[in-house]
Amino acid sequence: MANGTHNPVESLIEDLPRTRASLLPALWRLVEHEGTLKRESLVALSELLGVPAAEVYGVASFYALFSHDVPSESPIRICTDVICHLYGADALYAQVRAVAGGLVHESPCLGRCDTPPAALVGRSVVAPASPEGIRRLSQESQLW
Amino acid sequence: MVRRLLPDNESVLPLLSEERWRARGYDRALAQAAALGPDGVIEWVTAAHITGRGGAAFPTGKKWASVARTTDPIKYVVMNADESELGTFKDRVLLSGDPWGPLTGLAIAAYAVGARDAFLYVRGEYPEIEALLKDAFGWTRWAGPLADRLTFHLYRGGGAYIAGEETALINSIEGKRPEPRVKPPFPTQRGLWDHPTVIQNVETLANVALVLAHDPEWYRAVGTPSAPGTKLIAVSGHVRRPGVYEVPMGFPLWPVLMDPDYGGGIGGSGRLQAVLIGGAAGTWLTADECREARLDNESLRAYGASLGSGAMMVFDDTVNIWRILGQVARFFAHESCGQCVPCRIGTQRLVEQLTGDRQPDYQQLRELGEAMRDASICGLGQTAPQALLSYLDRPALWR
Repeated sequence: MANGTHNPVESLIEDLPRTRASLLPALWRLVEHEGTLKRESLVALSELLGVPAAEVYGVASFYALFSHDVPSESPIRICTDVICHLYGADALYAQVRAVAGGLVHESPCLGRCDTPPAALVGRSVVAPASPEGIRRLSQESQLW
Repeated sequence: MVRRLLPDNESVLPLLSEERWRARGYDRALAQAAALGPDGVIEWVTAAHITGRGGAAFPTGKKWASVARTTDPIKYVVMNADESELGTFKDRVLLSGDPWGPLTGLAIAAYAVGARDAFLYVRGEYPEIEALLKDAFGWTRWAGPLADRLTFHLYRGGGAYIAGEETALINSIEGKRPEPRVKPPFPTQRGLWDHPTVIQNVETLANVALVLAHDPEWYRAVGTPSAPGTKLIAVSGHVRRPGVYEVPMGFPLWPVLMDPDYGGGIGGSGRLQAVLIGGAAGTWLTADECREARLDNESLRAYGASLGSGAMMVFDDTVNIWRILGQVARFFAHESCGQCVPCRIGTQRLVEQLTGDRQPDYQQLRELGEAMRDASICGLGQTAPQALLSYLDRPALWR
């Protein structure tokens, strides 16, 4: 990190204190900017915050909303938990998955049990969710 | 209908306006707190008998007193808005209807215990709530010294049910894996960065704001002697009107399902089979039990149940409850942090037993559930078998 000013990760977290408490907010910055957590970005973050890379990965991999692959579009998370299941979430998941493939993930309860079934498209919530509603949101939303 | 936490008459005023903050009485609450002084505030909160609304029902005044007592000059307060319990969405509805209540309560908590930094931890799946709270921070310009003296730190969760457990939440803010710590020491002694910390659920803080906006006597005028005030109940599943309803503590359960002002009647087939009360870690109540039960922890104890976070998931007679138990087991196996053996292995064994083809051995299941309940580090593992154990106690639900 000889020339830190050109490090894209450094500019992303410029305003955050260089402490371990900035790790979770910093991970969100990376995800919002890059749509995913890249290995080299995690290593850069480790050096910037002074947290061992293994521990950065340990934290990053704990959370369900962070993806570690390389999505080209916003990931789609469909709640298939108890209440959404009563309201056709399994069929919704199968339908959307048939179109959008690997971008679609099953999610635990999203806290929208009053308007089931629920889905999270990138950072946007759709509830009740239909295949059309999810498609519209995926097209509208940029990469996170 | 009692409406204290959920506003109605002021709802024409813009959500984040100063006028609305005043109309809700929160200017009065902060002025009252300043007049009482820190010790006086804790006396009022103690006299009001507010208990934690996140599920544990711990007396709030007692928690604050133990933090205020410590000699450590650095103390913290945290609003826990990481509700991720299955079927629970009351904090989202409360914050989107009245963000000022919980925020005012947080400022009062900070003043009472002597904290200068206030943390808000919002679940990552609630982007609109996070945006709302960020906009609300502008209140420090006009809400007076109790708000102005504070530095607010907003944290967005990364999607982990266990991060809502108070010590896991502390680890999450500190940039560690959100794994629960062994208690004691409790966060009141060693919380954020080992300093004494008050962590409160959103709804608890809204209750604090109400007590200070009125007085303990006003607050205790509804509810039961042991549990004064109101409770937000999140009703979902097979009801005609799913949603969050505010009821006095001790209110009968049945009208919350049936009354047109509340759940509006059973949906689906129209015939009630059972209610899972308290969330995924909740207790099954049969239709007959639902007719008699009242919504407060003291009365629910007769059914081996508690209010928990206030979730009521309603199921009609076409639902296979064994399958629901399988889904609940999968939820906990997915959300277990894996730190302690009873929970890590126990949640997996439950999934195998509940979703497999083999005929389950009820006695073995009960022993497994009891071992998890007794030996897990935190509430997740301790309560993961709760719904199953309550099912085993109710042959009426076996089919």
